[in-house]
Amino acid sequence: QRFLSSEIDSIEASLQNSLKETHSIEAYINSASSVPVPPIDPDTHATTETSSVSDSVARYYQIYKEQEQLIGKIGSTVSPHYQPHTLLTNPPSPSDVTLELLLASGAHQGHHTSLWNPANARYIHGIRHGIHVISLDVTATHLRRAAKVVTEVTRRGGLVLFVGTRPGQDRCVVKAAQLAKGCHLFERWIPGSITNGQQILGRCRTKVVNEKDEEVPGFEEQLYERAVLKPDLVVCLNPLENYVLLHECGLNNIPTIGIIDTDANPNWVTYPIPANDDSLRCAQVIAGVLGRAGEQGQKLRLQAAEKGIITYTPAQDLKLPDQKEAGDESQDILEPNDIELLEKLLAEVKVEEANDGKGREGEEEQSDKQTDEN
Amino acid sequence: MGRYDFTPLRVREATKRLFENHKINTMPPWYIAVSGIPPAQTLTRPVMRAPRVKGHKKPSRMFQPMRISYPEDELRSEFFGDHPWELARPRVILENDGKDEKRWDWSRIVQPGKKLDGESVVQRQMYLMEHSNLTKEAAYDQARREFYHYRHLEDVERRISKEEALSTGAYFNKGALEIGMELEDVAYENWKAWATKQIEETKQARAQLYSGPVEQATTELEDEEMDEALNEVQESILATEKGQDALGGVPIHV
Repeated sequence: QRFLSSEIDSIEASLQNSLKETHSIEAYINSASSVPVPPIDPDTHATTETSSVSDSVARYYQIYKEQEQLIGKIGSTVSPHYQPHTLLTNPPSPSDVTLELLLASGAHQGHHTSLWNPANARYIHGIRHGIHVISLDVTATHLRRAAKVVTEVTRRGGLVLFVGTRPGQDRCVVKAAQLAKGCHLFERWIPGSITNGQQILGRCRTKVVNEKDEEVPGFEEQLYERAVLKPDLVVCLNPLENYVLLHECGLNNIPTIGIIDTDANPNWVTYPIPANDDSLRCAQVIAGVLGRAGEQGQKLRLQAAEKGIITYTPAQDLKLPDQKEAGDESQDILEPNDIELLEKLLAEVKVEEANDGKGREGEEEQSDKQTDEN
Repeated sequence: MGRYDFTPLRVREATKRLFENHKINTMPPWYIAVSGIPPAQTLTRPVMRAPRVKGHKKPSRMFQPMRISYPEDELRSEFFGDHPWELARPRVILENDGKDEKRWDWSRIVQPGKKLDGESVVQRQMYLMEHSNLTKEAAYDQARREFYHYRHLEDVERRISKEEALSTGAYFNKGALEIGMELEDVAYENWKAWATKQIEETKQARAQLYSGPVEQATTELEDEEMDEALNEVQESILATEKGQDALGGVPIHV
């Protein structure tokens, strides 16, 4: 007991000593500078904010603004130049994609001619300095198409996975996923995360959200029995290293978007974007554009939800908690407006089917036209 | 097809079949999006070059991309062939917005935001050939002279700035000559150590070969003995018909 009290005494004594030290330092600072330091309360050891401090803050801000007006223009004007961080903090949107932007980010530089994959011959503009140069108009076209896909998928409540495993691609991948409210991956893809998802991702938490993205509680038991989520669209910034992921997506019928360089196989992805996968700046531009496209899609979806329109098919085999408690087994949780939406969607699908024949013919005509031109 | 895998391109059709055959209950959220945005054509090989008209011994390069060449390439090779050390100058290949070319006006050789380079000379030469109707050689000479003028200004600036720095108390590292001399000294010391070692080794080798008593070539003689020995040898003059006397046991030989 004597030990404890002496310890407490020593702690108190040390606290008092530190307080005295701070008092002396405060006195010194107050005497030296014009900005007064707020005093420390001895009981609570906190600073006491007084109204005089906020008045002085306003006064100093005014002085600062006057100074800025006087001398702010002194010095050289730095002309607009490339600032790497803006690609991550404020990525370009699909409408900002220009050939000059792609050129500046080095999207046109392919690999040496001896390393090419002849399957992407149509994306190549020519050979310069021994390397294949990718056509930037082709890149822009494919990028806009991929952005449209991302927008439409996110608009219908799809989950997008952004993958970029090369060093330095983590920031742009995370930013894109944040904008599109999807998932990101910048470390190695664990093989089997889709085909063997229950084993690898079984411990991940899932949640039920309503049309306004608010979590709806009460579904824990049902979620415990539910299968693991799979992405509805995968965007891959380096398909050459992630061929396992792309193969798994093919097995599970998941559409993919990927940056296809001159040595990559364009058939590995559903929507290739012929560009330079070795340039970090190029990957950041493309990831930024697709992230912004996802952001637009999410915005459209939430705008529709505000009006009461649900753009997606709700989960079929989930029962509302109160209905489950009541013991109703065959209660359909579909609301009347959901059924209407479903019918509308099915009608769209049927229209797609009817147009499929026409669409295919149209494609063939186009391909014929192209060959004629060539 | 055989060695091609089109599964990623057929995800929509596969999902449609699954839905029709009741393997899945609902269409996934991406179905309508992907249906409305068909993927681009794949595996097409457009004609890039003119085909071989006759004599089909070698395979045609009709479908291979062509090399991109510009008229400036010839001028570049000429300039850098005449000024090879311009290639040693470091070059920044980072572009800001890709619109540099729109801001250039080659009526002057110096452009804002672009370092004076062999490229400036070539572009200036092209401008003069086009607008001033000069021949290639005349345009090259004029562009070259303008380039030399600005390089000379740069050299003068460098020299003056070094003098200014020295006068205000700056000190620099060792110059190239000093460093060279130091390296030479180090190399010389290394050589000297190697040479003395070689001498020792050859002496030892020779001593090993010779198995008799070691003959001391030079013995320490006292002054009297030295005088006697000198008297003995004094009369023999080498550069005559008689030549050196055959004196076997003499302490000193001429």
